[in-house]
Amino acid sequence: MVSFVTARPAPQAAGTVCSAVPVGRKFLNTHTKKQTDMDPSEVEFLAEKEMVKIIPNFSLDKVFLIGGDLGPFNPGLPIDVPVWLALNLKQRQKCRIIPPEWMDVEKLEEMRDLERKEDMFTPVPSPYYMELTKLLLNHASDNIPKADEIRTLVKDIWDTRIAKLRLSADSFISQQEAYAKLDNLTLMEINTIRAFLLDTLNCMYKLRSNVQ
Amino acid sequence: MPCERKPMRYGHSEGHTEVCFDDTGRFIVTCGNDGDVRIWESLDDDDPKFITVGEKAYSLALKNGKLVTASSNNTVQIHTFPDGDPDGILTRFTTNATHVTFNSIGSRVAAGSSDFMVKVVEVSDSSQQKTLRGHEAPVLSVTFDPKDDFLASASCDGSVVVWNIEEQTQVISWPLLQKSNDVTNAKSLCRLAWQPGMGKFLAVPVETKVHLYERGSWDHVSTLSDDLLTQPINVVSWSPCGRFLAAGSVGGLLTVWDVNSKLCVERQKHEKGFTVCSLAWHPSGSQIAYTDTEGCLGLLDGLGTSTVAAKKPAKDYDDLFDDDDDRLMDEGLSDTKSPAKKAVGWDDDDDDFLVPATGRVKNRGAFLDDENSLDTGSLKLGQDKFGDNNDDAGSSVAPAAPPVAPLRPVYEGPMPTPPQKAFQPGSSPAHLTHRFMMWNFVGIVRGYNDEQDNAIDVEFHDTAVHHAMHLTNSLGHTMADLSQEGVLLACPSTEELASKLQCLHFSSWDTNKEWMVDLPKGEDARALCLGQGWAAVATSTLMIRLFSIGGVQRELFSLPGPVVCMAGHGEQLLVVYHRATGFDGEQALGVQLLQFSRKKRQLISGEPLPLSQKSYLSWLGFTAEGTPCYVDSNGMVRMLNRSLGNTWTPVCNTRETCKSKSDHYWVVGVHENPQQLRCIPCKGSRYPPTLPRPAVAILPFKLPLCQTTTEKGQMEEQFWRSVLFHNHYSFLSSSGYEIDEDAQNLSQKEQQELLMKMFALSCKLEREFRCVELAEMMTQNVVTLAIRYASRSRRMALAQRLSEIALEKSNQMQEEEQEEPEYSRRYSRRHNQQEEEEDEEERGEELMEEEDGQEMEPEEATETKKRQFHLLLLLTLHKLPVPDSGKMSASSGQPRVTNILDNMMSSKKSAQLSSSGGKPSKSPVLKPLAPKPKTKTQSTLLQMAATKTANKKAQENTEPAANLQKRPDTPPPAPPADNSENKRPKTGFQLWLEENRKSILADNPDLEETDVIKEAMGRFRTLSTEERLSWTERAKGQSGDAADLKKRKRAEGGEGLENENEKAEADESSAKKKKSLDPSSKLSVFAFNQN
Repeated sequence: MVSFVTARPAPQAAGTVCSAVPVGRKFLNTHTKKQTDMDPSEVEFLAEKEMVKIIPNFSLDKVFLIGGDLGPFNPGLPIDVPVWLALNLKQRQKCRIIPPEWMDVEKLEEMRDLERKEDMFTPVPSPYYMELTKLLLNHASDNIPKADEIRTLVKDIWDTRIAKLRLSADSFISQQEAYAKLDNLTLMEINTIRAFLLDTLNCMYKLRSNVQ
Repeated sequence: MPCERKPMRYGHSEGHTEVCFDDTGRFIVTCGNDGDVRIWESLDDDDPKFITVGEKAYSLALKNGKLVTASSNNTVQIHTFPDGDPDGILTRFTTNATHVTFNSIGSRVAAGSSDFMVKVVEVSDSSQQKTLRGHEAPVLSVTFDPKDDFLASASCDGSVVVWNIEEQTQVISWPLLQKSNDVTNAKSLCRLAWQPGMGKFLAVPVETKVHLYERGSWDHVSTLSDDLLTQPINVVSWSPCGRFLAAGSVGGLLTVWDVNSKLCVERQKHEKGFTVCSLAWHPSGSQIAYTDTEGCLGLLDGLGTSTVAAKKPAKDYDDLFDDDDDRLMDEGLSDTKSPAKKAVGWDDDDDDFLVPATGRVKNRGAFLDDENSLDTGSLKLGQDKFGDNNDDAGSSVAPAAPPVAPLRPVYEGPMPTPPQKAFQPGSSPAHLTHRFMMWNFVGIVRGYNDEQDNAIDVEFHDTAVHHAMHLTNSLGHTMADLSQEGVLLACPSTEELASKLQCLHFSSWDTNKEWMVDLPKGEDARALCLGQGWAAVATSTLMIRLFSIGGVQRELFSLPGPVVCMAGHGEQLLVVYHRATGFDGEQALGVQLLQFSRKKRQLISGEPLPLSQKSYLSWLGFTAEGTPCYVDSNGMVRMLNRSLGNTWTPVCNTRETCKSKSDHYWVVGVHENPQQLRCIPCKGSRYPPTLPRPAVAILPFKLPLCQTTTEKGQMEEQFWRSVLFHNHYSFLSSSGYEIDEDAQNLSQKEQQELLMKMFALSCKLEREFRCVELAEMMTQNVVTLAIRYASRSRRMALAQRLSEIALEKSNQMQEEEQEEPEYSRRYSRRHNQQEEEEDEEERGEELMEEEDGQEMEPEEATETKKRQFHLLLLLTLHKLPVPDSGKMSASSGQPRVTNILDNMMSSKKSAQLSSSGGKPSKSPVLKPLAPKPKTKTQSTLLQMAATKTANKKAQENTEPAANLQKRPDTPPPAPPADNSENKRPKTGFQLWLEENRKSILADNPDLEETDVIKEAMGRFRTLSTEERLSWTERAKGQSGDAADLKKRKRAEGGEGLENENEKAEADESSAKKKKSLDPSSKLSVFAFNQN
């Protein structure tokens, strides 16, 4: 009654073969695209490996997948599955998703306030907090209490962190530092700034070397 | 004065909360920010009654069955108590009242308000109001003079004022407090308190001290303080006897002073240090209830005020005899009977509400009414008459009159417990507007009963069963049950309508999916349940009616008592009912278990249901496998142990995993395989709310065995749990159900492994007697393993005893088999194997004879006797076939007694395992063979041993390379086991190893035996394929002789070659399974390090 996707599709880019392994796809990409940054969809793909609790409404024995065994699924009994499976099941109305513990208005408010107060980056509840929020809220907002508030809060946290990131990039360049250390950054955050920062630095290097 | 601080519990939502006791002390009454007044029967009351008085409740006062509250709509309202009916509005302010209080007789109410005014209103006639104006800021608190002349109030303007009520004028005003602009900003709530009785002192909390002002002179006579008090005191309260004063501070400190000695007699700290904002003494003076600004309610119990007072009874009684007359004799006597429980020390005339604590709540309630009616009449008189006397008493020591003695004798014996009401297991209480009507294995039934909607939602865990349903609940169903076949609902009867039973039979294949039945007039459904193909309803006429799931009426029978609840599973019906009246908090429940299979019978006929002390039944049901199970209110889960004469075994205490005292687990299901207790954690309550949707958690089971922290205890617990949780197999098979034999075998294996581990542990601890006890619980094959273990660890005496047990067991097994020739499913499998193996046996016997002859010769004289015993054993064990050992002993030339055992065990053990592993593949191969008459007397397991040896031969012949691959997986045994290794023909690797061992050892002298082999393995792999092949060839050449020998034997045995080949094929398929079955590796699991 329940059929699983045997290989989960990697983020689809134009003209590439759909493969279960992200590395494979990236390899294909190198021919067409300079290997400087990851697509947000690739980061999202990695985030889909995170585990999340669901309550299935079907019964199924253990399934044996390359990434590890899942199940057994008992109706009404919470179980940990990867996000990609959770979303797949959810879309087929085969389960309810229990939001991760940190996806809670009070906890996020606390985090937002801390993030605003501190100059440094504060630790985030999950390395894929942004991706998970987006994925879960887009597909399972009916299972998450106060979904809108959570969306706003996570966006607030994200904005604060990106602003900090920009600020530190700015001071990094203006003070002509050789290196900088940034803790508690998530993959998605690094990816949003990497392309821009590297290009800029290259550009500036060229300009400076021309001046001399 | 040691007192017990009970844990705080959630009372109201965050914010100012007030508490008081009712006149009898039976109830604690609280109000809080959520606008509710809650009436708690005790601190542990999980389901308090509540009265909603407004959006917020600021203050409350309770006297003479009238509850006065100050609520957010700027009014002071009256409700009746305990019914909670609105009884009019007493007065209004322009803003909310901050504090309300009764005078001592309950005839007037004073209220202070944020609009700076204090009003005094007659309760009986709210038009008679007196307004006291003069404060210049919101009023913080008000208190009556016990004699009703004066009234004291504190205000945010910093003043404490005493008013003359009649004249409505200020008598005196003290500027004591810090000024603030609002009650919420005030440093302290400054709850004043006037000493009860004579009202000699007015207590005013000022900063961290309490000032006492004398009535009349209004002098500041003394100050009570405590070094530990560092934060402002919020509230003070006099004990009912007027001798003690309790104070609660902003920092959460609770302090009690003895006013006479000015000594602090009790200090307690709020468990979280929250601000205490209200305090109330129990009328007996033995308890203080308090609330904090977080809405939590706490209780100090066992305050010694009464005992202190009772220490001087003689003196007190002298006083009494002076100022009262004959009646007191009786009172004195009754008082001395239970001095510890009684608070001595208030005068009966003034304090009609202060009823003596005779220790039993019910009694107090009973004679309270009499006292009230008696005293209110003579109230004025009493006051005038005794006023002066009491004044003296109050100033000297505590007011010293004894409590009012009951006029009729008090029953002191055990009190009957109110019988618990009937309920549906897995439902939350019926009075809730949104509740679970049922939560079980199948799904959830929710009931909504609010203004807009009266509906029932049915939802299935597994949507494959049925889609979710939404029904309008026009009949007012209160009970529900849910199964894979249907939903059963029932409603109680109303004045016009009879009690109805409705069944939504969604699995019906015709178009009518519903039926309904009216119960006879005057008969109400109390409990119901669904089984497979039937429904049962228990009614108020102590009857159980059975229906088929399609609506046919079936049997009905009477119950011995009112039903408590029912549960159904398959063909079993479990009913719990009241057997008798329980006493002192205990319930007396009885249980019946019926089975409606072909042969209808009663499995448990009305035996008492064991419950934890002072608890009641909170869940009843079956495990998913069909074993009856229940949970009591103390969180103890018990399960029926069918193998111990239908007794109940505690399997889990859910309260052990609770974090706080008021947390509970709401059980929704029990599974035996896998062992899961499915329940919903409920914070601060016994049942979950419907929203947010609760999530199921899983608790493990744990039998309450002793010393489960030790290894021994743990293993014992695991063993007995495993035994208990696999009882259902035998039950299911005996009642004709299919059972999962693999799982059963697995569980038996697990149990035997545990026994072996325990055996090894006892061996290590030199507890040989215990070893034997354990061996008695083992199956025969494991006993042989145990013998081997014992002989290896040089415990010959033990091994001998064990072999006796093994003998006994094999005899038993024989007898059993003779007695019940294959009718039970369980044995049929073994018989199959018998058939296939009997031909092997003969060969085994021949070999055995050979072995005997060969073995005798090299034996040492000292060991001969022992060995003879073992040989005897071997022979009696039906000529155990050990074909290879003869060859081995001949070649190695150093057989020892242990070796014989070893060999025997090795073949047996592997046979046992193969029996649990690869049973199904065998029978078809050997079916054509005709069974010989001999088989009946054979011990089956030994026959299996023969198969194993045959397997081995086949393997060697057909696939020598397989051996090569297998070896690496079987860690080589410890030195004594080497011999058993030798008996197999050598593989190429072994030959190679023999030659290269020295070089390996030379390279790595430190290596252990196992490591050497590992190393050798590595090296052997690095050899080229040709080289390895050549080694294998050599190995073949060597074992060729042996193989020839065997072939000849086989020919003699009269077996066709076809059979041989077939077997080889079959065995190859099962060869993989046997990889890990090497006996020595198996044994090494259990081995404890001798060092």
